[in-house]
Amino acid sequence: MAILERAFATRELQDPSWFRRIFSDTRLAPLWALARMYLGYQWLLAGWHKMWGDGRWINLPGEDGGPLKGFWERATTIPEEGSPAIKYDWYRDFLKYMLDNEWYTWFSWVIAFGEVLAGVALIVGAFTGIAALAGATMNFNFMLAGAASTNPVLFILAILVMFGWKVAGWIGIDRWLLPALGTPWQPGTVTKPIAEAAGHGLPGRHPGST
Amino acid sequence: MERAIALLLGIAAWTGVAVTAVLVVNAWQDENQILAFLPIAAAVVLAWGVGEWVTERVFGMHEEVRRGNS
Repeated sequence: MAILERAFATRELQDPSWFRRIFSDTRLAPLWALARMYLGYQWLLAGWHKMWGDGRWINLPGEDGGPLKGFWERATTIPEEGSPAIKYDWYRDFLKYMLDNEWYTWFSWVIAFGEVLAGVALIVGAFTGIAALAGATMNFNFMLAGAASTNPVLFILAILVMFGWKVAGWIGIDRWLLPALGTPWQPGTVTKPIAEAAGHGLPGRHPGST
Repeated sequence: MERAIALLLGIAAWTGVAVTAVLVVNAWQDENQILAFLPIAAAVVLAWGVGEWVTERVFGMHEEVRRGNS
């Protein structure tokens, strides 16, 4: 027991200064803004194609989600020769379940709107970390389904933007949104009175307080 | 009143960025990604500049008072 207590005793491991300089320093905000806007532009473009493009996924004359249905069918097919697009059986079962239940009719809307919203949020820098997480989740799912395309690059970029969530939206709405709304562990100027009224205030934890 | 106008101005500026981005993508799609990226980046910088200017004008004095008290 003593060895476990010693191993997991309360201690905080500090990030090296170069790590903090890259992911927390506002002097690098212009670089993060460029990365964030590029990512957002790519998502907006992808979403635009699915919403309004020639090969759109929604707003079709017949049943919505035809292209998504085709994508899922191709992804879940196990070829007689060669390796299947999906490597994980559980993910193939998951897609087959959605396919069998015709979820592509509404899921194509979720993907199209999700891509446009993530793109716009990244471009304007609103809830940048959450928008990057949404983008990374979509990249992750496309890659699991066997579609490489630009997904690996966008996935890595989204992970980096998530690491730099504090500064990635500095040249963006987050510059005002985050101090106003705060975080779950540190209420902002707007949410602080509400948190204190609810008895969840954390006196002494705010940098401005003594 | 001044704060409400500042808030509205900020919302308008950033809504303008979102509208610009959608219009640019709608107009150029992926024909020339670098050319399409420029107006979006310019709109972001402009909106951020508006936000900073408004914040400085409307809330700047309050920030100094807070800093002076701490």
